[in-house]
Amino acid sequence: MTKPVLDDLLLFDEALPFDTTGAFKSECPPDKKVKVENLFKFNRGHGDLPVSIVAAVIAIFFFVAFWTQAGWLDRDIPINAGTYFAYQLGLADIDGRVTRFGRILKQSWVVPMLCLLVLVPAALWNLRASFKVNKWRKRFMLPTSAYFELTKYAAALEFVAYFIGYTLLVPWLGYLVSTMIFGSFLTWRLGYRTRTWTLRGVACSFAIVIVFRTFLQIKTPGSIWLYDQLPSAVRAFMLTYF
Amino acid sequence: MDAFLLGLSNLMVPSVMVAIVIGSIGGLIIGAVPGIGPAIAIAILLPATVFLDDLVSLVLLLGVYGSSMYGGAIPAILINTPGTPVNALTTYDGYALTRRGEAGRALSLAYSASFFGGCFSITMALLALFAFGPYLRDLGALFGQRDILMAAVLGSVLLIAAHKQTMGLAAMLYGFGFLIAMIGRQSSRDIDRFTFGFEYLFSGFNLIVVIVGIFALSQALNLMIGKDAAAPEARVTGGLLSGFKEIAGNKVVTLISACYGTVMGIIPGVGEFVAQFFSYSTARALSKEPARFGHGSPEGLIASETSNNAVPAAAMIPLLALGVPGEALTAMMMVVFFDAGIKPGPDVFENNPDFLFSLFTALLIINVLVLITLLAFTKYIAKMIYIPNRFLGAFIMILAFVGVYSIRNSLPDCVFAMIFGYIGYILRRLDWPLVPIVLGLVLGSIILERLTAGSGQIKTAIDLINRPVSGTLFVVILMVIGFIIWTSITNRRSGYQN
Repeated sequence: MTKPVLDDLLLFDEALPFDTTGAFKSECPPDKKVKVENLFKFNRGHGDLPVSIVAAVIAIFFFVAFWTQAGWLDRDIPINAGTYFAYQLGLADIDGRVTRFGRILKQSWVVPMLCLLVLVPAALWNLRASFKVNKWRKRFMLPTSAYFELTKYAAALEFVAYFIGYTLLVPWLGYLVSTMIFGSFLTWRLGYRTRTWTLRGVACSFAIVIVFRTFLQIKTPGSIWLYDQLPSAVRAFMLTYF
Repeated sequence: MDAFLLGLSNLMVPSVMVAIVIGSIGGLIIGAVPGIGPAIAIAILLPATVFLDDLVSLVLLLGVYGSSMYGGAIPAILINTPGTPVNALTTYDGYALTRRGEAGRALSLAYSASFFGGCFSITMALLALFAFGPYLRDLGALFGQRDILMAAVLGSVLLIAAHKQTMGLAAMLYGFGFLIAMIGRQSSRDIDRFTFGFEYLFSGFNLIVVIVGIFALSQALNLMIGKDAAAPEARVTGGLLSGFKEIAGNKVVTLISACYGTVMGIIPGVGEFVAQFFSYSTARALSKEPARFGHGSPEGLIASETSNNAVPAAAMIPLLALGVPGEALTAMMMVVFFDAGIKPGPDVFENNPDFLFSLFTALLIINVLVLITLLAFTKYIAKMIYIPNRFLGAFIMILAFVGVYSIRNSLPDCVFAMIFGYIGYILRRLDWPLVPIVLGLVLGSIILERLTAGSGQIKTAIDLINRPVSGTLFVVILMVIGFIIWTSITNRRSGYQN
């Protein structure tokens, strides 16, 4: 391959770090291109229907809970609410003293009601759209099973458990030890099991502790079981910096 | 001018300068690594900002925001994988140029276009501050609680309208974000909202806990469950200064794209994607060789990169002028304002004009710094592409823990952050948008706060809209809703005809 003629500053040493014997090599198929239309394209995937159902159920649950969980029982609205709200819109007239609208607006149930007025219809609208897509798929005999997606959701629970385990481990072993253990374990668990990768995992964990705890002094649990077993001077040092 | 000089002197503090350098170089690297992106980086950094000065925090986050799109262009051009979502369109022409052996030219075009776009919108913002600053201070008196309330409602409506094909989904996710913002005890009336008797929920969810969960932990899970992409071999040949000459030869496209980026950035809920779409379409329409678009057209690359980099500075304008964030990253910055006790909005123009000059000047410095770094170190930054995704996921998780724990020294916060992370992971897998949740959370907080604070001045419902600003915003809201209804009816009719 001939070297390109450059009429401006050459900033790259072509010998490093890449091979110079061939042109640019790529495993990406040439048709894997993003199109302008793709930026706005949305396709409902296989797990869409079950999740839409769950979302709608949660929205309805909050709608049901609204009557007891948002201060609705302590509401303070005029007895003749119909006439009052008609008056607010200029459709009716009321003689005498009228309750300020602001007094109603600042009650705790108003904003939750406004929120649920958006949330519940939107959740049902979304569910309807998801049903329609599912129906369309069935009509054209396309696969509709969400099994694969559900297995992926379940697989993530393993890492959720590790994270919660790490969270519980920090008050026992301290931030430094827990992070080193967790960082190296995750590196191993994810399949990076060579000595180099293990060292990288340990180094990255240590670097995080040094940057966030030692230098930035970000707070971590104050009472550590492991540090309590150390001599008082070492304990104080460890608590301050690690 | 005094405010500008004072703003400049605010930046001359060592801690601020260090934040600028760390933010811009860190953002560059984060942008270059596919799978992280500025939203995750900002989410992880948010808790650390609690311990830093206001300006240091904001400049650090601005650095990440302003520089990540530069970095994102590198994998988009070299390996056809956008570093950040907004670099997706860059792959279209950038990768095609790389396949022709012109990777250096493509990178150079991307850098120079990004630099022009960024500097253009910052210059516009600074000029506007110089020209209208004194008048904007007077405008502060026109903005009351009800006006900000209406601006937040307008932001919400625009956000939903921007999700053209998925408005129901966006409205639902916005509603869930709003709902999360409401959970907790209303101190003035001693009433619990949706706490179900759980003591932890009395103080409500901390915004940062939710944001770290939704953005960072969800992506960590997503990366760890996924597979490591085998990144193709990438070789960069050619110099990196030729792009500036080409930009000069494509003045019209560059200028139009920068204008689109600036205008779209100002409109809440619109952002980089729409700006890119308009810029790219216009560039194609104006081009003498439209057939080359998608096959390595320099104009296409210029349009894409100029417009997306013009957005960050412009997106700060609604945040600073109205106190209403337009998209996820500015919503996260809003959290810094909340923590610092600063209420962005017209009051800032009146009380802290130097602060505004500091922010925009910092953005300008960030752009220059990033360009210099890229020209000198692209080949090293390009190596970041090869860090395996799953390994990254593990360390995002570790970083998220320290971030969440440090906010309130609370282990339950970490558990709830992970619950939000798991929900976010499911949404990511479904390709559901995460931005409406975060904006629902932030805009919901604003609506809640302003409605309560402004209720004293509301005698009748008309009082909500009888002020000049709130009335105008209300008319705009009605127009947007009318437009949505009209387009959906038109689309349905044309659908039937087809």
